[in-house]
Amino acid sequence: MQKTEKEKGIFASIFEPIGDIIATFIRDALFDDPGRPGVRRFSLQARVFHWTIAGLVILMGITGLILFVPGWGAIALAGWTRIIHRLCAYAFGVVLVLYFITYPKASLAFVKEAFTWKKEDIGWLKAATDYYTGGDESKMPPQGHINPGQNLWQLVTIVCGVIFFVTGAILCFAKGAVSPAVFQWSLFTHALAFIIGSSMLIVHAVLGALHPRMSESLRSMITGKVSEEYAKSHYGKWYEEISKQQ
Amino acid sequence: MAKAMLNDVNKCIGCRACQVACKEWHDLPAEQTTNRGTYENPPDLSADTWTKIIFKEYSNDGTLRWLFRKEQCMHCTNAPCVNVCPSDALQRHPTLGFVTYDRHKCTGCGYCVEFCPFDIPRMDKESNKLLGTGLMGGKCDFCFDRVSNGLEPACAKACPTGAIKFGEWEDLVAEGKQRVEALKENHPDANFYGEHELGGLHMLYVLDEKPEVYDLPVGPQMPAAATALNVGEWTGVGLGLLVGGGMLGAAMLARARMIEGKKEEESAED
Amino acid sequence: MKLCGGTAAGAALLGMLGPESFAEAAPIDIPLRKRIGEKTSICCYCGVGCGVIVASDENGKATSIEGDPDHPINQGALCSKGASLIQVTNNERRLDKVLYRAPYSSDWEEVSWDWAIDKIARNIKKTRDENWTYEDERGRIVNHTEAIGWDGSAVVNNEEAYLFTKFARALGITYLEHCARLCHSSTVAALGSSFGRGAMTNHWIDIKNSNCIMIIGSNAAENHPLAFKWVTEAMEQDAELISVDPRFTRTSSKADTYARMRSGTDVAFIGGMIKYVIEDIEGHPENYNMTYIKEYTNATLLVDPGFKGPADLDGLFSGYDPAKRAYDRSTWVYQLDEKGIPKRDTSLKDPNCVFQLLKKQYSRYDVDTVCSVTGTAKDVYRKVCETYAATGKPDKSATIIYAMGTTQHTNAAQMIRSYSMLQLLLGNIGVAGGGINAARGQSNVQGSTDHCVLYHILPGYLKTPHPEDVDLEAYLKHYTPTSNDPLSANWWGNYDKYIVSLLKAWYGDAASASNDFAYEYLPKVEGDHSHIAAAEAMNDGIIKGFMSPGHNTAVSGPNANLEREWLGNLDWLMVSDLWESETAAFWKRPGVDPAQIKTEVFLLPAQASMEKEGSITNSGRWSQWRYKCCDGPDMARSDLWMVTELIKKVKELYDTEGGEYPDPILNLAWDYGDPPDVHKVAKEINGYDLEAGELLPSFTKLKSDGTTSSGNWLYCASYTEDGNMAARRDPTQTPEQANIGLYPNWSWCWPVNRRIIYNRASVDLDGNPFNPDKPVINWHPLRGKWEGDVPDGGWPPMSQEGTKLPFIMTSEGRGHIFAPGTLLKDGPIPEHYEPWESPVGNLLSNTQSDPAVTIWKSLVKGDASKYPIVATTYRVSEHWLAGQMTRNLPWLVELMPEMFVEVSEELAEEKGIENGKKVIVESARGKIEAVAVVTKRFTPFSINGKRVHQIGMPWHWGYMGLSKGDSANVLTPNIGDANTTIPEYKAFLCDIMAK
Repeated sequence: MQKTEKEKGIFASIFEPIGDIIATFIRDALFDDPGRPGVRRFSLQARVFHWTIAGLVILMGITGLILFVPGWGAIALAGWTRIIHRLCAYAFGVVLVLYFITYPKASLAFVKEAFTWKKEDIGWLKAATDYYTGGDESKMPPQGHINPGQNLWQLVTIVCGVIFFVTGAILCFAKGAVSPAVFQWSLFTHALAFIIGSSMLIVHAVLGALHPRMSESLRSMITGKVSEEYAKSHYGKWYEEISKQQ
Repeated sequence: MAKAMLNDVNKCIGCRACQVACKEWHDLPAEQTTNRGTYENPPDLSADTWTKIIFKEYSNDGTLRWLFRKEQCMHCTNAPCVNVCPSDALQRHPTLGFVTYDRHKCTGCGYCVEFCPFDIPRMDKESNKLLGTGLMGGKCDFCFDRVSNGLEPACAKACPTGAIKFGEWEDLVAEGKQRVEALKENHPDANFYGEHELGGLHMLYVLDEKPEVYDLPVGPQMPAAATALNVGEWTGVGLGLLVGGGMLGAAMLARARMIEGKKEEESAED
Repeated sequence: MKLCGGTAAGAALLGMLGPESFAEAAPIDIPLRKRIGEKTSICCYCGVGCGVIVASDENGKATSIEGDPDHPINQGALCSKGASLIQVTNNERRLDKVLYRAPYSSDWEEVSWDWAIDKIARNIKKTRDENWTYEDERGRIVNHTEAIGWDGSAVVNNEEAYLFTKFARALGITYLEHCARLCHSSTVAALGSSFGRGAMTNHWIDIKNSNCIMIIGSNAAENHPLAFKWVTEAMEQDAELISVDPRFTRTSSKADTYARMRSGTDVAFIGGMIKYVIEDIEGHPENYNMTYIKEYTNATLLVDPGFKGPADLDGLFSGYDPAKRAYDRSTWVYQLDEKGIPKRDTSLKDPNCVFQLLKKQYSRYDVDTVCSVTGTAKDVYRKVCETYAATGKPDKSATIIYAMGTTQHTNAAQMIRSYSMLQLLLGNIGVAGGGINAARGQSNVQGSTDHCVLYHILPGYLKTPHPEDVDLEAYLKHYTPTSNDPLSANWWGNYDKYIVSLLKAWYGDAASASNDFAYEYLPKVEGDHSHIAAAEAMNDGIIKGFMSPGHNTAVSGPNANLEREWLGNLDWLMVSDLWESETAAFWKRPGVDPAQIKTEVFLLPAQASMEKEGSITNSGRWSQWRYKCCDGPDMARSDLWMVTELIKKVKELYDTEGGEYPDPILNLAWDYGDPPDVHKVAKEINGYDLEAGELLPSFTKLKSDGTTSSGNWLYCASYTEDGNMAARRDPTQTPEQANIGLYPNWSWCWPVNRRIIYNRASVDLDGNPFNPDKPVINWHPLRGKWEGDVPDGGWPPMSQEGTKLPFIMTSEGRGHIFAPGTLLKDGPIPEHYEPWESPVGNLLSNTQSDPAVTIWKSLVKGDASKYPIVATTYRVSEHWLAGQMTRNLPWLVELMPEMFVEVSEELAEEKGIENGKKVIVESARGKIEAVAVVTKRFTPFSINGKRVHQIGMPWHWGYMGLSKGDSANVLTPNIGDANTTIPEYKAFLCDIMAK
């Protein structure tokens, strides 16, 4: 007999979705089934891009973390950590540029969206604490394509990304070419971007993968679709718009 | 008891026995050099040259002087390189006080090179800039192995005039300051360098001219960025743990409350 | 909220997993990365003689070489060369094959030792037999060959040097030389004629006892850094350091007073100081040691009234013959009383007494004149005079350290004489912290000089016989000085004992009273056969075969292009070295076609100093034993082995085939075993009581009746029945000895372990030290003997019966302010002459340059109109002599990679020369290329109102080696000192231009 939600326990509720990812990724991600019920939220290229970037970022994050936390650097394996970090950074750049060139409209839309903020976002903020700790769903006002939390995350990825690139380039190539002070503060700024970015990444990952309120979020980044119910309840305004279009 | 070396520039004759003795003890290879119009060679410290003598012709109010100063890691008590090294390849020896370097732990990040106020560490020449495969090539290691075994560092032993002395930090500070007083008669700018800088240097200098004449930084400090990083490291870790913990907590709380809510609904429906 | 708490607890746990759990803790101590050795040797570079310790691995290869912390001179320290020693023994450039170059060939070929030894021996025999002179054209027995030359070495062990000289004389070789000729031959002549022995009077550690150190003609911090250690010690006790040099050097950078002096003007400089001292002695005799001056020097002695000096004769002395360019020295003698003892005037007033002659001579050397000649600033000069003269007090001492800057001039012997005179006037000879410290530059040049690998002397500074010395009696009459003065020890009166013992050592039973102790076997030599003369002989085709172990004449010889060219006149050349040197490879040097050069060349791979056992003598006369510490290349052999193999083969050839006068060869005693045992050689040098079959304890036991033997009487007492004295490593001293750093039980020094020679001049007439704080010896009245150092003659103090004067090696027993008789060729007291090539006229007289100098056939003189710049050559700390021992070592090449020339900023501006860029320097003899080092340390001189530029350059470079470059000696003139023909490397004319 299947266990109830409660009976599954804490660890099951963390590991089960991970198991889901692997299973459904294989089944669903690679096959963009137009017949599948639901509302399309993410194109195939967007999903591939997301997971590629996510993988690279996580690797860079882990290797960077090793070099960052006082004392952990001892396991930095005589330079291999740095090499992985740099290779991922180069790959990240290449992937980013390729995507921009191939899908300029979508890329620019992403950027524009990140910097678009409205007065209504305050309503989300007021409701967010209660909503995300399991409070009354109906108190959350209807949201557009993305909610302000996700909007913030997009903004952070762009801003931190730029900071990472510039300071990273200095740390990587400009040793000796810039003054020690410039290098030193680049290192600090790189670390600051890491603190801010990785904090937000934790939020993004937990909400996206583990939070019961955002239960279809992870699946949607694999299959590209959310159920109509989910779309209505989480992105009401966006659902209305796209329904009108059809 | 913390050890130190006292470099007395007034006794130094620039013979460079110290340069060679360091290479001999550590089996460091010679570098390719050219005559650039000076006796000074190699032009810079490197992974293969851990100490060198700087030559300077200096005219002080019409009197010509030829100054010699030995340059090497200053083995600071509060060493910025130790501070920023992510992997503890650079560490402060707990009792003897100098800065040790374990090449096996080096990640090749190069932070020590950029944070050192005396511009001492050097990357290995074989480093691949793109990949970042190089490591910090090496620096004066205070002849750690010799000192551990009751011997003096190779350079101090080799110095013909006793311009390099090895001993207890306190003793050398006292001796050096006495010497500075004696020098003041003919060299009014004589000064002692290293007693307080960066918590005290383990490479102390008796200077007979101002530090800037000998190309030494006046009042070197722990770089502000290093201190900022120290703060950032711990707050960053703390923040990350807090956020992570907080988010997981929120998720679990949400799940619990949602289950409760469903139960209420179910029981309400019943 | 409990979840948050749990999270927080988890965070704390993570935080506790700090560095220690991820990494090993940093070690508190670590093992030595390599062993430090226990085998001892002595550094192979300069004449300080620092101790080193060597560690080697199981294959015999050295793994570390460092300073010997127990050695009293260097105490574990070394200079950059000593610190690089491991790259001498472990070096891929070391010769590891026996090489042969056939005539006209353009390559070396590898041959075996047997083949090479055989071929060289045959060459020796052939050349000797074809060019043998038994009787010369005047019917005098000469027993020599002029067709074989030998040059080398100052870096082989004493035992090897001794065998070289023994070998060469047995073959009848007249052209016998080694690098001492080029570096300190003028020292031997000058110090010998001043005090009786031609060597450094004190020793390195003793420098610390000095109140004032004048370093002139030397750059001790550069070239004798471990000697400078003791200068530094002296300065810590408030000693004053005066550096006199045309260039501001590393030594000058530490000096209290730096006095600029144009190259070649030492006599003027010191002459002015002597004038100052004489006037001060007359004005304030209480500030000087009048006892010393009057009793221990010849200041009071009266000179023949026929003697006239430069003050009267416009720069010349009485008796000059311009046609011969030589002096008839019969007026340069003392007035004798009816007993044949020199007359004295103790009031120092008689116009013919030495003191007054001195005053007359140097009255012309006033400050204005002197500074016009030397280019020194007057206030600096006066300060030097005052500071130095202050050590004339009995309890103060000053020492002079000098080297090539003084010795390599046409009037070098006179320059050194001027130092000697100054020191005698100030009572500085024989005392602690005093003396004349001739800084010798090669590890065993002192030893090779003592064993006399030089044509004009036999081991122990005995004279080489002249054809007029028809037999032993004539020889002894010629050279044994006599004295009628009972106060004079006249130690050279023992001459006969030394020559007979030498001949017994060389010829054993074949030397007996019946055959004049084989005196006839010795080759007789007439005329100059020194290095420059030998080079001229090569040019004239007189020398056909040449043997050059451990000497690189192609770089070190003056007018190097000619020397290199003349090597091509040889039929055969043998070189032994550690490296392929410029001399060995002269036939393929840049710019020549090997197919035009007929010389057959043998290049024999030699062992380095730490690869063999033996003794070497440092500049302080310490003979130090050193051991085999590691292995060099397999094919390398010691010079001891090489010369033994050669003599074996030569003997065999003469035995089987006969030849010209084989007796000196066949009867030559050479029983050292196979392979030769260096200890046996050392013992032969010491000498035996032949009847008892025991080693002799000292040269006082040598006899002239053939019952004793000694290869070198000076070294008698170095290897006795008590053991090998040179191998002693005992630091114990009495408190008195320790006070002055005497170290009498460490190694052994000649003569008879006397560390400070002439030390009986350090006490007053009652035997009490003039300086009670630093006594060298003092008379113990109850015990009736001297304590402290070995006294220079054990006789009681001057106030007692049976005493002798302290300078026992001079004929009258006193220090020579005036060098009488035939001691020197160009004057009994120094007179300033300009260097042979000079941009200005002589301000002191119309005798421009030293009038007794030989003008050689091939000499080319540069004119100041074309070559207006004074040039000098010198050294750098990081390289050594002709460079093959340092330009093949990567660490030293890293420090000093290229040939350079130092130029003043003013001259650089005039000529458009940029720092670090190439320039060309040209003299009348050739031109070279070098990197310009533009520096504040040279500035133009003002000489008699005229602006004179001076440049300088190191002479270490040549066309072979890891670091190649042009040789400075391409520029230098092949003209030498009047007495010893040491070349004038240090002052010549040139021009310079940007490349």
